[in-house]
Amino acid sequence: MTQVTLQLFGAFSDLDPAREICVDVTGAQVADLRATLRRVLPERWPAFRAGLLDYSAFADSERVLRDHELLPADGRVAILPPVSGG
Amino acid sequence: MHAHALWKVVDRNDAAIDPAEAIAFVSDPGFGGLDVFIGKVRDLNQGRAVQGITYDLFEPLVVAGFERMAADVHARFGPRVKLYIAHAKGRLAVGDVAVVVAAGTPHRGEAFAACRELIEVVKHHSPVWKQEHYADGDSIWSEGCTLCHADDLPTAPLQGGQAADPREPDRT
Repeated sequence: MTQVTLQLFGAFSDLDPAREICVDVTGAQVADLRATLRRVLPERWPAFRAGLLDYSAFADSERVLRDHELLPADGRVAILPPVSGG
Repeated sequence: MHAHALWKVVDRNDAAIDPAEAIAFVSDPGFGGLDVFIGKVRDLNQGRAVQGITYDLFEPLVVAGFERMAADVHARFGPRVKLYIAHAKGRLAVGDVAVVVAAGTPHRGEAFAACRELIEVVKHHSPVWKQEHYADGDSIWSEGCTLCHADDLPTAPLQGGQAADPREPDRT
């Protein structure tokens, strides 16, 4: 079990005023975090459009993390919905 | 930050982006061409009256990305090129400057191309999100380009003025 502090951006920031949530992930890869969120989001926030997860990426403070990569050692991960800068 | 590139995030609570700073930075006695893109908040989007936009950024990744993007564009157009990127953070009103990208080169062709290439990668690949605030009181997060396959996307070159990512309808 890996405890992840998920930093929330864009539409995900509406989930919690603190802009981060704690998630217990079974497994150590980014794909495991995605699978956990696929289960947890509809349970904890039934009104949220959980399908946005399928188009969202994950990152640490330096780069985007691919699904096959290990979760960061410090447990801090950002979820990045589709971007809309400029 | 390097002598040939300057990039920054500007919190609207602290200051406004100054396009004059961009022009000054990319200027050089040997550069005859400067191209500046200024993106501003407009009052209408998809038929809805807009009062303002809140920009949310994952700042460490934005800054790291700006550095990488500037390095990539410099590698393609350098060594004689200077680049500038500034993106706003926080709540902006209609008419406020959201983003400025500038390029300075010896001749206009490279300046246009480098500036266009840089603004496209900034828009499509930076972890920045905008929440539009409408006159009717509603607010909606815009969704543009997914970063799920960001490593696979080319950083241009652009052809025929097309956006770098065809999945994103360019409404700037």
